[in-house]
Amino acid sequence: MRTHILLASFALFFLIACMGFPAFAEEGVTDTEIHIGQWGPQTGPAAAWGSVARGTGVLFEMINEKGGIHGRKIIYHTFNDAYNPAQTLAGVKQLQESVGIFAWVGGVGTAPGMAVKDYLMERKVPWISPASGSMHWIDPPQKYLFATYPLYKMEAKALCRYSVEILGKNRIAIAYQNDDYGANGLKGAKEELAKHGLTLVAQVPVDTGEGDLRPHAAKLKQSDADTVLLWVAPKHAIALLGAAKAMKYDPQWMSTSTCSDYPYLYDISKGLWEGVITTFFGDGPDSFGPLMREYKAAYDKFAAPGERWGTFFTAGFGFAEPLVEALHRCGRDLSRERLVEELEKLQYFRGVMGRISFAPFDPDDPMCRQGQTEVFIAKCVEDGDMVQLTDWLKID
Amino acid sequence: MLNGVAAGSGYALMGIAMVIIYKTSEVVNFAQGEMALASVFFTYLILQNYGIPFVYAMPLAALFAVFVGCVLEFAVLRRARRQTTLGMIIVTIGLEMILMGLVSWKFGADHKVMPFPITEFDSIWLGGFYVTTLEAVTFSVVWAVMLGLFVFYRYTRLGLIMKATQQNRSAAKLMGVRTNRVLMFTWGLSSLVGCIAGLLLAPRSMEPFMMWDPMLKGFAGAVVGGMTSIPGAVFGAYFIGVVENLFGRYASMEFKSAVAFALIVIVLCVKPSGIFSRHYVKKV
Repeated sequence: MRTHILLASFALFFLIACMGFPAFAEEGVTDTEIHIGQWGPQTGPAAAWGSVARGTGVLFEMINEKGGIHGRKIIYHTFNDAYNPAQTLAGVKQLQESVGIFAWVGGVGTAPGMAVKDYLMERKVPWISPASGSMHWIDPPQKYLFATYPLYKMEAKALCRYSVEILGKNRIAIAYQNDDYGANGLKGAKEELAKHGLTLVAQVPVDTGEGDLRPHAAKLKQSDADTVLLWVAPKHAIALLGAAKAMKYDPQWMSTSTCSDYPYLYDISKGLWEGVITTFFGDGPDSFGPLMREYKAAYDKFAAPGERWGTFFTAGFGFAEPLVEALHRCGRDLSRERLVEELEKLQYFRGVMGRISFAPFDPDDPMCRQGQTEVFIAKCVEDGDMVQLTDWLKID
Repeated sequence: MLNGVAAGSGYALMGIAMVIIYKTSEVVNFAQGEMALASVFFTYLILQNYGIPFVYAMPLAALFAVFVGCVLEFAVLRRARRQTTLGMIIVTIGLEMILMGLVSWKFGADHKVMPFPITEFDSIWLGGFYVTTLEAVTFSVVWAVMLGLFVFYRYTRLGLIMKATQQNRSAAKLMGVRTNRVLMFTWGLSSLVGCIAGLLLAPRSMEPFMMWDPMLKGFAGAVVGGMTSIPGAVFGAYFIGVVENLFGRYASMEFKSAVAFALIVIVLCVKPSGIFSRHYVKKV
């Protein structure tokens, strides 16, 4: 009897071993697939940034067409969260718990990202390149969270430094979105100006749902600022420029990389965007690098009809590049821990964004999880073209 | 102050549009903004894609707006008339989402540029302030619409029928009024006023979310003025515009937008029917 039981156990074990289980038991990875997720606002006030998630999708299509990564196709799961943190959390949970996502990439917005950060980190799900430059991603640093977007605070410092040292301005004001995005810009501007013995001459908060920007423009005009930093959404930036123009107020406008899609902003502002100075965290869509040309070819082939080739769209490629690189470096032996190891080994990795470097996890060093720390400054000229004003600047 | 009046003009037209429907059917139409949105994007389509001259596009837009209002009343609201007031409000919220989704699907979420003959960047110096030509036009249109509606309700047969339907639908029906048609026309008229508001707002910002803030502020103005009074809605909208601008300038820009809704709470506590509304006493 005992022999029979022993034989039956061996037979069962043998059967299970031969049942063709995938070689990896890691969530979101099979022999032929890697499941990657991203959210993005396709509707609502931040919908202009929805092209980030669509850009990433085209990059994955391009990779899959070439055979995937080490024989595995990327299965891309994306959903519209309408820039609503409650919808972000619901969508992420639903995909994570039903499909099983291996890693998340991008994801527009600080508030939507904050809604899911703890959930993903508790489950040890890697999240690469949140599409916002918030300090929350790195302070405190998280083992599975790799930020690449340069900090908004750093961008504000770069613009203030350029304004004071190169343009010789000394009356600087800021219109900032009344949330974490705006607060980071405000903080950076204050810190940099303090180094030059200056203070902001006006700080004007803008509510995300605000429709009438005339009082904000009036307040900026009243301050007599010679430079105004715009840490707001593109539609509010345009509305402020329009209201200021009607009031015959014409300071030097400066804005973040979130408003660096020059052809688009030039078009919707009916030319008012000409002369605006912004930071850039990656090559412009019309730059002629071989990688950007390859991405353009993928866009021509895979993008939906009517999709615009712009800065936000190409940012979707850039945000996913470190993940793709680390997946390549992992080889067939793919697990989340292995992915983290490979990401930590990235040093001066250059795709279409600035150089990206991470370091082994150190809970006392936020910068071990901040991949990109450099931006360059450019100016919008006629027809929405870009003139680069500086080389890559590394700002601490 | 002038900024507030300028902002209030945009809200006023939305407020009027909401009052027109509420006066007749006692439904707060939260789809008002998106009905206007559909008309604005239709106008954009025929101007941009079909190259129809502006002078012809405007009447076509007006016809389309009336058509949208009538169809929604006939196809949706009339079917749901047995619902409670709350149910009807939920229906309008559903319509709002559907219309916004359709516009986003058809035109995408990117901003568009409405080829409008009046620019919002040109301004005139008036009493120590700059007033844009677009604001001046919007202000004039608000008063023209209000005057037109006053004449319509007071002196035209259809206007009187609409008032009768509002005051006692059963009695109007017994007098031979085809109340269903009156309600349908009410929705069409309201949609037309909303379309005018949308077209005047589009040069400043044109994207699928553009009507949300004006609709909410217009609603706030209508509540402050009294949901059954057109002059009340206009007054309420100006009041909201001026108060939020003064609040933003002298108190806190951060809470500027919240002022409109704080005013609703205050008015509802002090005078629940609104400042300008009249009560109709019904015999039991």
